[in-house]
Amino acid sequence: MNTDKQLHVTEIQRFCMHDGPGIRTTVFLKGCPLSCAWCHNPETQSAQSELLYDEKLCIGCGKCGDCSQKVHSFLPEHYVKRDHCLQCGLCAALCPTQALFMSGISYTLPELRDLVLRDLPFYGRDGGVTLSGGEPLAQEGTVEFLRLCKSAEISTAVETCGYVNLKILERIVPFVDFFLWDVKDTNSGRHKQYTGVSNKLILDRLQYADRLGAKTRLRCILINGVNTDTRHYSNIGALVQRLVNCQGVDILPYHAYGGRKSTLLGRRDNGKIEWIPTQDQIDCFADTLQNMNVAVRCL
Amino acid sequence: MEFYTQNNLVRPVRLCETTRGFAYDSLNRKYGLDTLRVSSVSLDSIDRFENLSPIEKYDCCIQYIAMQAPIRICAGERISGSATLGNSIHHLVPATYGGKPVFGSISHLTVDFETVLKRGVFGIRDDVLASLERHKNTSRERFLRSCHACIEAFSLWHGRYLQALSTEEKWKDNYQNLLQVPFKPARTFYEAVQSIWFTFAFIRLCGNWPGIGRIDQLLGPYLKRDLEQGTLTLSEAREILAHFFIKGCEWINGQFIGSGDAQHYQNIVLGGIDAEGKTVTNEVTYLVLDIIEELGISDFPVSVRVSRTTDERLLTRVAEVMRYGGGILAVYNEDLVIEAMCEDGYSLEEARSFANDGCWEVQVPGKTYFIYSPFDALQVLQQRTLGGYEGNIIYKTYEDMYAQFKQDITCRVGEIASALRGYFEDKTDPDAPWVWKTQMPCTIVSLFEQGCVEQGLSYLEGGPVYNVHSPHIGGLADVANALYAIKKIVFDEQRCTFLDYMRILKNNWEGEETLRQYVLHRLDFYGNDCDAVDSIAAQILSDFADICRSFEQTHGYHFPGGVSTFGRQLEWTSKRLASPHGRRKGEILAANCSPTPDSDREGATAIIRSYCKADLKKLASGSALDVKLLPGNVSGSDGVQVIVGLIRGFATLGGFFMQPDVVDTTILREAQQHPENYQNLSVRVSGWNARFVTLNKEWQEMVILQNEHR
Repeated sequence: MNTDKQLHVTEIQRFCMHDGPGIRTTVFLKGCPLSCAWCHNPETQSAQSELLYDEKLCIGCGKCGDCSQKVHSFLPEHYVKRDHCLQCGLCAALCPTQALFMSGISYTLPELRDLVLRDLPFYGRDGGVTLSGGEPLAQEGTVEFLRLCKSAEISTAVETCGYVNLKILERIVPFVDFFLWDVKDTNSGRHKQYTGVSNKLILDRLQYADRLGAKTRLRCILINGVNTDTRHYSNIGALVQRLVNCQGVDILPYHAYGGRKSTLLGRRDNGKIEWIPTQDQIDCFADTLQNMNVAVRCL
Repeated sequence: MEFYTQNNLVRPVRLCETTRGFAYDSLNRKYGLDTLRVSSVSLDSIDRFENLSPIEKYDCCIQYIAMQAPIRICAGERISGSATLGNSIHHLVPATYGGKPVFGSISHLTVDFETVLKRGVFGIRDDVLASLERHKNTSRERFLRSCHACIEAFSLWHGRYLQALSTEEKWKDNYQNLLQVPFKPARTFYEAVQSIWFTFAFIRLCGNWPGIGRIDQLLGPYLKRDLEQGTLTLSEAREILAHFFIKGCEWINGQFIGSGDAQHYQNIVLGGIDAEGKTVTNEVTYLVLDIIEELGISDFPVSVRVSRTTDERLLTRVAEVMRYGGGILAVYNEDLVIEAMCEDGYSLEEARSFANDGCWEVQVPGKTYFIYSPFDALQVLQQRTLGGYEGNIIYKTYEDMYAQFKQDITCRVGEIASALRGYFEDKTDPDAPWVWKTQMPCTIVSLFEQGCVEQGLSYLEGGPVYNVHSPHIGGLADVANALYAIKKIVFDEQRCTFLDYMRILKNNWEGEETLRQYVLHRLDFYGNDCDAVDSIAAQILSDFADICRSFEQTHGYHFPGGVSTFGRQLEWTSKRLASPHGRRKGEILAANCSPTPDSDREGATAIIRSYCKADLKKLASGSALDVKLLPGNVSGSDGVQVIVGLIRGFATLGGFFMQPDVVDTTILREAQQHPENYQNLSVRVSGWNARFVTLNKEWQEMVILQNEHR
């Protein structure tokens, strides 16, 4: 596979309204350098295609039973032996209900552009494409892809975790109307503990992108007991004040709905109710930012 | 005083407390319940009534209604005139003999208010007298005498209001206005509003349900002049116009009537261009939007004519008002509608004047007789093309099957066309002109339809300038999906033989769950922007339109195709068999041009794209698309952008008519439990909207079903 001419995608979601202004198509890309404990899209973490299994959809028809690796057995309930799976996708192709589903499809760049442009008549001045994931910049093809989108004169947005290659960042900035830049925690130790990497590189890249003229909105997930401390709130405010092209902060209160998704990968439900922040915590974060003259929205 | 919303948006306050209180009372059934007190006038005192001819009987009905209908003047009303007889709400002429209603009444038309405004009812009376002169001693004379008698009756009713209003100083404005209108031409905005209302109220009092039409075009010039001369302010104009909308709620009574109590076809059309191509949108357009935004009155469904070039201000206001939910606002893509009407034989000027029949089927207002004949294409496929799954019919290819289906549709449309023959006298000489049969008298609406008085023929007897009979195809998404499923499963993928598939369907999918699940989950159906199936829907519509056209011009009738189910997908359920697209017998299927419930996975933009792939300008009667939005999708200023984007896309891609609604099914479920708290919660049902709690259980469930899977 020529990786700069294709993109590996988990989902193309049309008629999206919360990933930027207007009507947008959000493309979720596969592969992420972070492994956040609260990840809402765990199927986007690995760069490889993966088998998902949703037991709620299984009707026990047994079409998947022919697997050469004997991944599927019926005892009588359907049991998936994941460590035997070669991720070949044959079972998913046979499954009538899509209880078995392969996450990760490769598109050539023109193919993907055409899919995004299906909704061109609805985008108007403001709408367009948002790349999300996963980490969009983890795939080199995003640069060329966004160049194609810009030449179709649609708005382009990238939601990034910021842990990205400098060269790719430099090349992509001219084709991105705005970044939704995740800053999950300003405390470096905690950041490493919960996401697997330090935040130093992320904050460096953010400031570098800012100097390149990249417009940004910070996306700050708020997780009770993890980053609900006032130091973090004022650090975010101070960070925004240092940036020239940052338009404000979106607060994303943690919710536990995404947790079930990790069970589709055969993992434990990673949702934790105790992580849901209280309204007071959300307000406190928002007030701190507002007092520092930082524009804030709560999503 | 709170007016419902489908989300936590707070409705703005612009109107004065008196007006808001009047609206609140009216919405909460005060006047509707009063209207139910007297259902009809009695004709029992008329000597030898049975011996009268139908038209003589009709004239008696109208005269007695005018003489005896209760007069109602509501506290604080700025305009007067009330349709106060309960049987009018039931689509009957509210006059009984021996306890039984004598005549039914007319709907599905928008009458000619322009002539009333400009020439007054006296102007119409002059036309009646002139026509009487021309048609003296002919068969048409009797109808014209009925016209004259009905104007006399109207005048009598008018006189009763004048007298009632003359008694108190506080009704001075209403009294003064009624001295001028509707019998003489309106001179001011206030008079014009009163003129339309009073005429509308009388037509409704006599049992008919006309639409209003292009109210901004009708009233705009009066408002402009008053504003320029400084005799009226915009906020005063808003108050006056608000009373028009509030008075229109005088039939709200909370009764369950199946499909809801709000459907009296009082449709209003806003915006667009006039016959010369000039923009109509004016201050009245915005006042109407202000009023429904503030009061949430859903009784006049409002359709806005948009195009690729509609200005941002109007689109933004439309989107802002749509966000509250209630399904009050819908949009026409006027570029396409005008093109469609031109293709159907109207002049460009007439096409540009389009409004609708009170629902969404387009017509030239005040000039058109309209009727439609619905049929279920899915039943045609199941019962005729596939022979009821009995296994007697086999197709070797998809193309063979489709060719037979097309022939079956031709047959079905032919049946509808031959029913037209029933409107005319039998004739032996094929070259002799067609002669209309005498129909039920309907003089009141005939007075306000151009052509009737001039020709001396009633609305039902070919009087109007245009006569339109439209076959409406129903079950579009389902029949396209069904054909596609057979194509994929039997012919392309060869998962089973044609006869096996028929047997499976005959057994209602019994024991074939794996295949059924495959069909449901692995095929992309109409509404997902998938060309393979959308092209089948487009082909069906194109062929259907051609078939209709082949029957046209048989006797001067317009015979354009249209697409609708309205609520018929409910009554068709019991007649439909299991369906090839994975559906069991008894499931409620698609509405109008919308996808089969629970088959659309890609969101509103994909639905609109699927719909717009058909060449919709071939169907001049119209094709409606319902789009359901969640309150969360359209909240905030971003939400306005989203709705504007949807409307722009719909217009760019060549849609015909779109009725978006913002619905939270949790709220609907709650309203089922506690109807008392949700008396005015409105939802779009189809071409109309209804107060949700007045729908019966079946209809409520259907509305919830259509909204749930998004």
